[in-house]
This record gives sequence, structure tokens and C-alpha cells, in this order.
Amino acid sequence: MARRLPVYLVLDTSGSMHGEPISAVETGVQTLVSALRQDPYALETAYLSVITFDSSAKQMVPLTELTAFQAPTFTASGTTALGDALRLVAQKIDSEVAKTTAEVKGDWKPLVFIMTDGEPTDHWQNGLAEFRKQKVGMTICCAAGQGADTNVLKQISEIVVQLDTADSATIKAFFKWVSASVSTSSQKVESGINLEKVGELPPPPPEVNIVV
Amino acid sequence: MEENKEQEIQKEVSAEETPQAEKGETTDSQSENSQQPEEPKMPEITYQTLAILMKNLPNGKVKKEYEAEFDVATLKTEKGNSIASAEFEGLQAVGLDYFPEEKKIKGIPTAAGDHKITIRYKLGDWTDGKPVLLYTFTLIINPDPRVLWNNTPTPETIEYYKPDSDKAFVQAGDKNMAAASQRGRSHAHEGNSRDDDFALHFDTKTDWYALVVADGAGSAKFSREGARIACQTAKEICEAQLSKDGIAEVLDLAIAEYHKDDSDKNRIELYQSLHSEVLAKAAWSAFENIVKEAQAKVEPVKQKEYATTLILSIAKKFEFGWFVGAWWVGDGGIGIYQKENNQVEILGEPDGGEFAGQTRFLTMGEEIFKDRQRTYFKIVKDFTALVLMTDGITDPKFETDANLKRIEKWNALWEDLNGANEDGVKVDFTDDNAQAADQLLRWLDFWSKGNHDDRTIAILY
Repeated sequence: MARRLPVYLVLDTSGSMHGEPISAVETGVQTLVSALRQDPYALETAYLSVITFDSSAKQMVPLTELTAFQAPTFTASGTTALGDALRLVAQKIDSEVAKTTAEVKGDWKPLVFIMTDGEPTDHWQNGLAEFRKQKVGMTICCAAGQGADTNVLKQISEIVVQLDTADSATIKAFFKWVSASVSTSSQKVESGINLEKVGELPPPPPEVNIVV
Repeated sequence: MEENKEQEIQKEVSAEETPQAEKGETTDSQSENSQQPEEPKMPEITYQTLAILMKNLPNGKVKKEYEAEFDVATLKTEKGNSIASAEFEGLQAVGLDYFPEEKKIKGIPTAAGDHKITIRYKLGDWTDGKPVLLYTFTLIINPDPRVLWNNTPTPETIEYYKPDSDKAFVQAGDKNMAAASQRGRSHAHEGNSRDDDFALHFDTKTDWYALVVADGAGSAKFSREGARIACQTAKEICEAQLSKDGIAEVLDLAIAEYHKDDSDKNRIELYQSLHSEVLAKAAWSAFENIVKEAQAKVEPVKQKEYATTLILSIAKKFEFGWFVGAWWVGDGGIGIYQKENNQVEILGEPDGGEFAGQTRFLTMGEEIFKDRQRTYFKIVKDFTALVLMTDGITDPKFETDANLKRIEKWNALWEDLNGANEDGVKVDFTDDNAQAADQLLRWLDFWSKGNHDDRTIAILY
């Protein structure tokens, strides 16, 4: 089997996402997957997992080959357990992503996209400590709207983007960029390159601002 | 009592139906009904949407047989009603159909996409006039990745242009050499250059063979030129050194002595002569030439922009058998395959990393020449093939470093080269087949999911 590019989508489904934002996220995941299916690099290497978090985190879709992936439906309620999400994604990376040994052909380092619209309501630092133990190719944090704390996200990753509003057009633009980023990344890894810097990603659309 | 109850129920039913049908003869059979002359009236059908609770159908793949369990009889609507009959709209259009007896949806999908399939269904208590219900779901049919790959030629105007494929055949002495190099699909899709390279040489005066393959790093801007310089330099230095008086004889003698008595002393003498005078010298010169090229540019760049792996091998036939020496940095692989005795000798160790895509490069310079032994040699009675490969071949064909040492994998590779593959491409390794290089190049087109790196192979056989 060829090396896989694992992609984790970690999505906030807390109560504040109710309504337009959550249905935009649902559509976003669907269009993301349809777009990636048209890309031969992604079609052959990308594996997707969806983790959602509200009062606790849950893996909605385990790491699945893009060709077999089916977008889940979401409901929004509860608080924002970002720490639990970080802990869960760390645990899943540990169990789902193969490391290279003499006997095993390892996967590419995973890509992690984290999207949240609010401030964490749990002890997120504990989750972050778990997350830091894992080898991740690139983590991209997205603050959806003005309610998210970009200072918290900056501690999770150097790469933080912010959406001015969490309306459907903006969320759609974000997912389009995620799709392009996964495409670029799956192309690069086939040439033997692991992405590490935001400059190696496609430029984000105007709705998606890089937080410096 | 029970009989009475049944009668009551029957009465109720007929009472309900009578006003609708206005025939008064509801208990009569349908055949009698149809004989009654009546004005034909266009039936009016109304539709209503009502979700069905069902698991998503698994995704399919275009032109690949599809089969999914599906049983209308067990379906329930979101309100809990059972479904009496159902028709599918959109299934046949994509080459699929529902087979109620087999309880399956199957067929061969004809088109890729997110297809909307509508189930038009009736509930168990459906009668004329009641709405037909609709439920729409998405069936995903994946495209065949093979048709998504573009093949865009590399613009000839780029700096250090090289053709997208290359091949060579050298008919010589006791064995022939063939090599081929093909740009990977990932580069072809973007119109990017091939980064791999190779070189072959047979010296008619000394009877030494030299084979070299190199894989330019995908992340380095001028790696295609780094790989080319590495191959050319390594080949030229081997050629020059092996025809120098005082080196060729000393080496020949050291090989003969070592064959007679493989003592530590003889092994070290042979190693030193082979390493310092030929192999490491050739590799070091290749490194130096790359540094020179990087510095000679109008705007000098770092040598790492020319990052490349290198596998260099020399071979010669003696009365007692074949001597093969090799120097190797980076990934890929080199082995002496002996089909008759079911054996393979790997001439070194690949430089792997903890993560996919990490390796060592010739352009790392000094550290590469100090970090560990990179010169290997072996004397064998005879062999089927001496094979040098870049990782574009070892990744799909061997997968792991451990597998590179397994004879079963080498047997499979040899059978594969001899035509045991899905495309039936065969390389004819009989003596003097000048077509071998073309056949090898065609073989390099093999399909392997997710493995689309440049591929280069050089074989002495």
C-alpha cells in the first residue's frame, strides 16, 4: 500500500454554531470531499477523519480513504471542549497513523485543521500537552468569527486564520481553501516533501485572514 | 365471536372504500371491474417528500462492478411506516439497478460524481389518490484516478532541461546493460521536469562495467541537474580511475587475493583500494562538481538546491566469478539477483528516515563520507541481474527496507519484468536484444496507486 496522507478535520459543534454556521460546515465538508475526488493526488493518498467537539469531543468519522468517505451530518449544542478535542485528535493520530519502521511503510505526517467559533470552556492546556506529543505535518487553526480567542489558537499552532464572520459564504471560502491546501499537500508529498510552513500552502481567499 | 369480529372489520373496510370507488361492488374481482365501461380519466398523481431511514449506500468507482445490499421491504420512513413498493430514479442513468429478488443494488457505474438518486415509494396502505412519496439521497461514484492524471510536457526553455524519459542499451562483453528513466505522473501532471538520472559505461580495454542511478530531491530547485552531474561525474571518474596504470592492476590483484583467501587483511586491502581510488573518489568528485556548478551560477545558490541521491556500481568478470562493488547514499536500492540459487545480495543500506520522505543526499557533503560505511563489494559465481533502482521503483515494488532483502520480492520483481504484470509488458533479457531499453521504458509505466514518483532502473544481465 502506498503512503497515506492523513487529514484530521476538528470542528466546533457547540451551541453557538447552531443554525447557519453548522449547516455551512456540513456543506463545507461535502464540497471539500467532492473537490478532492477530482484531484488525482488527493484521490490516491488522502485519508480523512472528522472529529467534532461541543461539551466533549467525538470522532464522527475514523480515518477513512477519500474514495470511501461519506460526509457526516452535524448538530450544534453544548459548550466548547477544545482541550478534549486536542486530546482526542492526539489519541487518534497515535493509533491511526503508521510510523515508518524497517517492516512498515509509514504514513506522511498528518494535516490537522481545527475550526472553532468560541473560547474553550475546558482545561485546554492539558489537551494541548497531549497533542504536542504527536508528530504533525501542519496544524491550521481557524477562528470562525470574532468570538474565538486567536491567542489560544496561536499556542496550538503558528498557523492561525480568522474568518470575519461565521456566515455560510465565509465558511464555504474557508473549506475551499482547506481543499486546495490538502491538494497541494498531497501533491508535494508525492514528490517527497512534507509541508511545514503556511507559505507553502495556496494563498487564502480574502475572507480568510492570516493572523500574525 | 371471532368470526363476528372479522365480519365487522370487513364491513368497515367496504364502507370506507365505497364512497371513493362509487361502484358498490368492491368485493368483486378486478377482472370483472375492468370489464365495466368507464370514461378513461388521466390519473392525477401527487408527490410528497418523506425521508426514509436508511444507511448510506457505499461509494462506488466508475467502471468497476458495484454491489450493495438493499432491501426495500425492510425500509421504514422517518415516521416509522413500512414501504410497499419503490421505484428508483437516477440509478439506471448511472448504470445501476435495484434487484428486489437479490435484495441488491448492483451494476457497473458509468459516470463519476455525486449522483442524486430519488426513491419514489408508496406506503403499505397506499390507495389511488394518496400521494406518492419521495426521498432523495446521494450516491458517490469515484472517478478512475488514471484518467485524472494529465501528461504535460516539460517546457524545453527551463534551465537544465532534460527529456521526460531516457533509455540506453549497451551490448558488451559477457553481459549487456539496459537502463530506463521515466518522469513520474506527479511531475507529468504539473508539467515539471524529471529529477532522476542514470549513466552506463563499459570499458572495452579494462572490461569494467559501470552503472549509476540518481534521484534528485523533489524539494530542491535544480535537483534534476544535481542528479545528472552526479551520474556523469561518477561514471567518468570510475572509467578514468579503472584505466589508470597502478590502480587497475592493484585492484585486480586485490580482488584475486581476496577471492583466494578472504582474510581480514585481504578484505581491508581490497576495500581501501576500491573505496579510496574508485568508488568514494567518484562520489566525492560528483559532490565537488555539484558545488562548482552551484557556485558558478551568475547568482550562486546553495549546493542543497542540487540535492540528489546516488547509487554507483562497478562490475567485472574474472575466471573465478564476478566482482561487484557499490557506493550508495540515499534511498532506492541495489542488489545482485541470483535466480538459480534463489539469492539476492544487497550492496549496502538505504538511508531511511523515521518519517516518509526523509533520506540523505550526496550534496550533504563531508558528513555523508564520514557517517558510515557506504562502499560494499561482493564476489559471486554468476548472477541473473545486477539491478540499481531509484525509490520510484523500490517504493511500489518493495515497500519497506526489510522487504528489499527478501528474495520473494526479488523473484516477483524479476517475473514482473519478464511479463507477469497486468499490462503484459515484457522485457526480453536474452542476449543482444537491442529493444531491451525500449521495453524497460514501457515497463516503467506500471500502475501503482499513490506511487507516482520518477522511476529509474539500470540492469546488468
